[in-house]
Amino acid sequence: MSDAFVSLQNLSLAYGKTVVVPDLNLDIRKGELIALLGPSGCGKTTTMRAIAGLMSLHGGSISIDGIDMSRTPANKRGIGLVFQSYALFPHLNAFENVAFGLRLKKLPKSEIASGVEAGLNTVGLSHLADRKPAEMSGGQQQRLSLARSLVMQPKVLLLDEPLSNLDARLRLEMRTELQRVQRDTGITMVFVTHDQSEALALADRIVLMKDGLIEQLGTPDDLYNRPETAFAADFFGFENIFNVSGSIITGPQGSAPINFKAVDGHLAWRPGAIKIGNGSHQGTVRGVAFAGEQREYVIDCQLGQIKASVSADEPAHEIGTSIAFDLPKAGALSILVT
Amino acid sequence: MTSTWTSRIIIGLTLTFLIGPFFIIIAAGLSAGDFLAFPPEGLTLKWYIKVFEVESFRDSFALSMFLAVFGTIAALMLGVPAAYALSRYKIPYGETIKTVVAAPIIVPGIIVGLALLRYLVVPLSFTITLALFLAHTALVLPYAVRVVSSSLNNLRSDMEEAAVLLGCSRIGAFFRVVLPNIQSGVLAAFILGFVTSFNQVPVSLFLSGPGVRTLPIDMLSYMEITYDPSVAALSALLAFMSVVIVFVAEKFLGFSRYV
Repeated sequence: MSDAFVSLQNLSLAYGKTVVVPDLNLDIRKGELIALLGPSGCGKTTTMRAIAGLMSLHGGSISIDGIDMSRTPANKRGIGLVFQSYALFPHLNAFENVAFGLRLKKLPKSEIASGVEAGLNTVGLSHLADRKPAEMSGGQQQRLSLARSLVMQPKVLLLDEPLSNLDARLRLEMRTELQRVQRDTGITMVFVTHDQSEALALADRIVLMKDGLIEQLGTPDDLYNRPETAFAADFFGFENIFNVSGSIITGPQGSAPINFKAVDGHLAWRPGAIKIGNGSHQGTVRGVAFAGEQREYVIDCQLGQIKASVSADEPAHEIGTSIAFDLPKAGALSILVT
Repeated sequence: MTSTWTSRIIIGLTLTFLIGPFFIIIAAGLSAGDFLAFPPEGLTLKWYIKVFEVESFRDSFALSMFLAVFGTIAALMLGVPAAYALSRYKIPYGETIKTVVAAPIIVPGIIVGLALLRYLVVPLSFTITLALFLAHTALVLPYAVRVVSSSLNNLRSDMEEAAVLLGCSRIGAFFRVVLPNIQSGVLAAFILGFVTSFNQVPVSLFLSGPGVRTLPIDMLSYMEITYDPSVAALSALLAFMSVVIVFVAEKFLGFSRYV
């Protein structure tokens, strides 16, 4: 692809003899916000470390802005990384943390001061310039870490689980912050996360990874509404997945007929797509949980377990009662097995 | 009730055994008599003054100081990189190396002294000062590695990676980021090494020669000839020095965290 800014070609990564990423191809456009998404052990963090140069390549190449960086040491790549633990320097105050990289560039004093000033301003920490990291809250440390990377004007900014250590309110704040910084600076960002909602909310494109391979690559809309594999469907909330052949679906416990014709492969429903109270299937309520607007049910049936969620306004069904439900055509996702 | 009293008695006895001798030597050094005696026969400060007039004490004090300061610095120059390598890199036989490095703590000093004399000093005809220097460096090394290791283990390694991504070399990251954050551990190691080296007897016993003696050895030989209270006075002064050093270290460094 000609518009690739960061290009990973046939990338393979290993720890000792254990190959974590066998063969990865990925092109990232300039100014794009990409999420590397997947469960732990899928190779997303390893891939990010390889882009940063913190890990040597087992094979393949990494090029940035058309230059092959595969052998370039980490301190010469011009890539920023915001660590999950922030990795701030505890012996330096906020100002000196941000100034660290600028000082190494041997910039004149005035330029360093104005650069740091601007950096702290961007993340709203100017008033805390004299504080040590230990005297700051988690959210402030995170923003300091972001500022420290941003003042270096990196070609690419990598973020490792940028929201996972923050509480719900700060998470929203930081998310907005990241989007704003990205829009203001136009910097290319790659962030690693295991949380699909973070990826959906932030990313321009999502790279869903599994066992070191790209499971699916697309926009949040693609992945959320049109997952192409059973794994992707499950990851994005299609929690009821069955094999389908003709008009028979098969779960872990057994089979059941459905009242419409589907393409052979998998059929999947989100919990919210399943109707309960009436329908052609019968089951027993195994668990029920109140979740505010929704009530979430776990139902045992001949297929296995079904997860359904219905509006909390509807009357509740007790655990142990038998219940009818429907797996409607509307809301059913068909996945082809390739 | 009984258990409080029992524990008080046990604590009291322990303290008596630990601190009692200290008071005995202080008092013995104040004795007005001509021979080492406890309880003191009258009181005088003349033995405390005499300590500073004995020439051999001055020479051996200088040697002990030299060994304690430079032996410990040498041990740290070897020990800090060793501790860093052991904590950051997966080194083949790393655990074995740790055990070997700790060996001088476990092996009785008298054996180390004999071995150094028999296999280094005699066959290689090292000077006594050099042999003492090497021996003290080797003795302090385990403490240096241990104490520095424990403060390195508390330091997250991603900080160094962050420094590298901001443009540092690996070595630069060590000096700019690692060292400033373990400096109190290094200082603690220095103090522990200094005190260990200064009070060291068995190894120095084997390696001392005519005219070249560390202070504790000099005190031993002084006592063989002259049994006056000045040795007690000197002991009291040395004990006091150690106490002050450790007290100050505890106050400013939280020394006991590292040892």
